[in-house]
This record gives sequence, structure tokens and C-alpha cells, in this order.
Amino acid sequence: MTPPILAPLQNPATRRKWLTLTSGALIVLGLIALYGFGLRGLWAGAMLAAAFVAGSDIAWRAVQALRIRHFSIELLVTVAAIGALFIGEYWESAAVTFLFSLGAWLEARTLRQTRGALADLLKAAPETATVIRDGQPVEVPAASVQLGETVLVRAGSRIPVDGEVTEGNAAVSEAAITGEPIPAEKAPGSHVHAGTIAENGVLRIRATGIGSDTTLARIIRRVEEAQEERAPSQRMIERFAQWYTPAIMVLALGAWAVTQDLRLALTLLVVACPGALVISTPVSIVAGIGRAARSGILIKGGQHLENAGRIDMLALDKTGTLTEGKPSLVEVLPLAGTKRAELLHWAAIAESGSDHPLGRPIVAAGRAEGEIPTPEAVEELAGMGLVVRHAGREIAAGNRRLFDTLDITFDAAAEAALDGVLERGRTPIIVALDGQIAGILGLSDQPRASAAPAMARLREIGVSRIAMLTGDQPQPARAIAAELGIDEVHAGLMPEDKLALIRAFQADGRHVAMIGDGINDAPALAAADTSIAMGAAGSDVAIETADIALMADDLEKLPEAVAISRATLRNMRQNLAIALLTVVGLLAGVFSGDVHMASGMLIHQLSVLVVIANAMRLLRTPRRPGGGKGRPVPADGALAPATA
Amino acid sequence: MSAPLNTILRSDEFSCPSCVVKIEKALKALPGVAEAKVHFNTGRIEVAHDPAAAPVEALVSAVKSAGYGASPAAF
Repeated sequence: MTPPILAPLQNPATRRKWLTLTSGALIVLGLIALYGFGLRGLWAGAMLAAAFVAGSDIAWRAVQALRIRHFSIELLVTVAAIGALFIGEYWESAAVTFLFSLGAWLEARTLRQTRGALADLLKAAPETATVIRDGQPVEVPAASVQLGETVLVRAGSRIPVDGEVTEGNAAVSEAAITGEPIPAEKAPGSHVHAGTIAENGVLRIRATGIGSDTTLARIIRRVEEAQEERAPSQRMIERFAQWYTPAIMVLALGAWAVTQDLRLALTLLVVACPGALVISTPVSIVAGIGRAARSGILIKGGQHLENAGRIDMLALDKTGTLTEGKPSLVEVLPLAGTKRAELLHWAAIAESGSDHPLGRPIVAAGRAEGEIPTPEAVEELAGMGLVVRHAGREIAAGNRRLFDTLDITFDAAAEAALDGVLERGRTPIIVALDGQIAGILGLSDQPRASAAPAMARLREIGVSRIAMLTGDQPQPARAIAAELGIDEVHAGLMPEDKLALIRAFQADGRHVAMIGDGINDAPALAAADTSIAMGAAGSDVAIETADIALMADDLEKLPEAVAISRATLRNMRQNLAIALLTVVGLLAGVFSGDVHMASGMLIHQLSVLVVIANAMRLLRTPRRPGGGKGRPVPADGALAPATA
Repeated sequence: MSAPLNTILRSDEFSCPSCVVKIEKALKALPGVAEAKVHFNTGRIEVAHDPAAAPVEALVSAVKSAGYGASPAAF
């Protein structure tokens, strides 16, 4: 049995640390003995002991690996260290084993920090939950909460499950999920996510998702899958590494056979692990994806990261992406003697037959005028509008195409009213009663507050072409585009038109990112080099399908995602260059006789640390140049509600 | 024979991708382990095992014998 005092040494990391420190101390002792006092005997003894202390753990691991028939790096180092002892190179042997142990220890420590962004997410999941059982609050492990149980969350504590608020109000910080620093107000009926924090107030939550079935767990799983997915450059390196190590081993044997220079052969063994090379891409990817996750940006893997880093063009859907997707009724134009209240009443009856987003504000406006009955018959014509029957009358509501199809003609007054609505940049809904135009409604969809600054920032970082692709009509699309500083507008598009446009952009040599709501944009999203979904915290489909998912409904995360992808791509290239130079330099140095075992190991371990340190730079929060976040005020007051 | 179980272990001590094969081989050498997958980038170890023949503690000590500390995780 192990004596209690040695128990911590059972832990591999602790043991390695102490062996490394002891070995280092012995080396220092040996150097003092030789250069301070000229004691060659003590020097040799100290070096031998140092090599033995650090080497024992390496050799033990090499043997463990051999037992399962695996040729490990540790085996190469062990052979080199023992070989050095045989040819009387005590110092080399001690230095190689010490540097190998020290390097591995430092590498594990620093790598832990590059993986740290994800550790923060993991920590966001609380271990315990307070549930109400038989009317009493009971503390239980978070994973043992049952679906439908009521969970009590006190002010300042983390929410342990996904659920719906049944009682109480609180400001909930959702930073862990969405990266948004501003807390969201939650009231009965609101959905809350596990891992978010109730800043104040007490909430009672009905659990709808527990443990691995929460949004937080799904994000963690996706982030990890993304970090584990191999980027194309990583696959190339792994193929290279696969033959590099055996090739060097053969080279070492060959060099020994030809030159009889054992020291050269052993030095080759020491540099045979392409450490910096195999680690160069993965550390950058882990750090980059981890950094993005901290901001509520989910990049779905190395491949997507490389693609996103090359983006130089962005295509955006309008409704729901650039705009809030909650249109409001801003113009009511009755025609042909119809009264305003009457027009709203009939339009609301028609629109109550559908749940189209454009219909909702119309139904609300109609309700304000009086009771809205349910229509007796509803016919919905996709992409055009509705025809409904109620109380013996036929009501048609929709766009111009609907009325052309129904053969309902526009008189001069109707034409003028329609042109006016379009000119002011609104989306018109035309209403007809029994085949006679009764009036026109104008709807306007507010652009998101984050849209204009996001577009400006994207141009700043070199996304030179931004195009709006929308199914809406040209005039309202252009009005919004102008306000946001988008100069390229493609309007009146069907889903297949959007797809064709994306293909055309790509044929121009552009690397196109497309952001949309994923339904009518699905074909275009699939064709784009990078597909981006927004507001993904509420939609599992978006998390699953998009290449990049922005957890919050915040367009300003878009330039951040592009910037992080680019920085990561750049970082990967730097690391690759450092690693390749090291390999070439080491081999050249070994053959020219400038690099020996100790210096070879030192350079090798330093290059690994440099590569990790470089990747860690990605974890810093990037500074934004300028920082101007003022939102331009619409110059012509285009969004002010107009009345007629 | 009890039902097969998927267990996730996490380690933050991986320093070189060469350890991946080593740990996978060490885990698969245990009786009762059907599949073992080690992810270097995230330090996550996925094991499909028969909890009666290979309890979670046996998995942890197999990883330890390969030279790395690891502990079970919920997800």
C-alpha cells in the first residue's frame, strides 16, 4: 500500500510536477558542483540522478504504452536518454528528460487555459436544484429533477433547468447562453434557460428540459463537436505527422548505421515528435471557437471557421433578420366611399383566417374598432393573400398579384394610393369587398437597432459587398436598405431566385455568407459558403443546421463572428509557419551539428509553448476600433406613423 | 451482463495528440469496454462499457495508468 504522505503522488499530474522540480534542482546542484567547485564526480552523480528522477516517469509511461503495443513519444525519449548515458553524456540525458517533463507540464497547464472558455460554460450548469415536493422546497441534484416539477430559483442563483416561469418576476442574465450582458425581464409565461442567472426576485419554474436536454447542454455538445471536428489543414498535418515520426526513426537508424555516430542518431530521436506541428491547428481552433462561444456565437467547426474567415460578401434576408419581423400598421387608406373603421373591420376578418406576420397588426387594429368574428370560409393563396367569405360578402386581402389573379381592376384613385404607399417604403395590403377595391393598408417593419452599426462595422472589417435578398416588394426593401447603408437590393424574390443569386455571387469569385430565418431562405443558406442563423437560443433547428449560430437576436454579433473567424484563421497560419520552421530548422541543425540532444529538446518544447501562447491570444476580448455605436436617425422620418 | 452504458470522462492534462491512441488502447484493453473515443482538442473521453464488468472507477484508473488524470462528467 502507498503510505499516506505519498498519496498525492498517485495523481499523475502532481507526481509529474514534483519529479520535474526534483530533477531541475538536481541539475542546478550538478552545475554548481562542476562550475563552482570543479567537482566532476558530484556533477556526474547529480546529472545521473536528475535523469533518473525525470526519466523514471517517462520510462514508466513508455512501458505502459508498450504493453498495449503502442510506440509512444515517451519511448523515443527514453531510448535517447538511456543511449546518452551509455555514451557518457550525463548532462544531455538529464537535460532531455527534464526539459521533456517540464515542457509537458507547462503545455498541459497552458492548454487547459485555451480550453478554458468551454470550462466556463460547463461551470454555468448548477449541480443542485431546489424543487417543490409536497409543498416543501427540497434540494436535489439538478439531474434528478423530473419534467413538470416546480423549481424554485432565488435571487442571485443560477437556474438549474430549462423551463417556463409560473410565478414571480426577475431580471435574468443570459450571458452564458447568448453572450448578451443586459439581463432580460422574465415574467410568468417566459421561457428561461439552464445556466442563466436570476439577478433579483424569486422565480418558480416548471421544468421543461433537464440535464443533457437543456439548451446549455446542447450548446456545450455542439461547441465540443465543433472543436473536435478536424479542419482541412489539420487533416493534412496529421497525415504528415503519421509518416514524419517513423521516417525520422528510420533516418536515425540509417544515420547510425552509416556514420556510426550514436549521438547524431539519438538527437534525431529527440526531435522526432512534430509536437508544435500536430498541435498548431487544434489549439487555434479550440481557442477561437471557445472565444466565440463566450460571446454567444456558435461556430460549428474548423471547416466552417476556415470558410468564415474568408468571407468577403454577405447576403441578408430582410424580414425578421434586418428588421424586427414585427410589422406595424402605419397607413390606412380607405377608398371608394368606404369608412376607415369599416375597412379595418373587414380587413381584420380576412386576416384572422391566417397567421401571417403581416396579418397580426391588422387584426389587432380591427379589434380596436370592435368585435372581429371568425370568417366562414378561408382560402389562402400562397405568396399572394387571402380570400374569405363572411356574412354573405367576399373579402380579398393581399398584394397586387392576388388582384390580378382575381381580375379585380384598379381605378385611378386606387392606383395612386397604392403608388403612394409603395413610394413611402411601406408594404401594401390591398383589401377588396365583393370584387371592389375598398382600401389599402400600409405596413412598416422596424429595422433592428443593431442593424445599421453592424453593417457599418462589417464594411470596416472588409466585407465589401452586402446585398439584401428579399421576397418583399422593391420600394419598401429599398427604403430599409437605404436607412441601413445597404446599396444592393434584390427584391420580389422566390426561394429559388435567392439560391440562383447566391450561385451568381459565387461565380463572381465571392465567398458568400448568408444570414436568414431558415424557412424560405433554406436553399440559399445551403448554397452559401457560410450559413448563419440568428436568435438560435430559442430554436434547436437553427443550432443544428447553421454553420454559425448567433444565440442572441443581435446583428452586431455578426461582425464579431467574422472577426473571430479571421483572427483564428490568421492564428492557425502563424502557428503552422512557426511549427514548420521549427521542424526544418531542427533537422537542418541536427545534420549541421549545431543542435544536440538538450538544445534539440529545448527548441522543440519552446516551439510547442510558443504555438500554444500564440493561440491563447485569441481568448482576449478584441478591442473595437472607433467604437462609435450611435444609431443613425432616419433623415426623412420615414418610420413616423402616418394617418390618412 | 447489464445494459451497456455511455460514460463521459473529462481530463485537462492532455498535452500532445499522441496520448489519444494510448488512452484509447488502454481503455479498450479493459474487459467490458466496447468502445472508447478520446478527443484531444476538448479533453473529452467517451466510453461505451458494461458497468458490471468495467465500472466507471476502472475506466478512470485505466486512464490514470496511461499517465493522465480524468474524472467522470454529466455531459
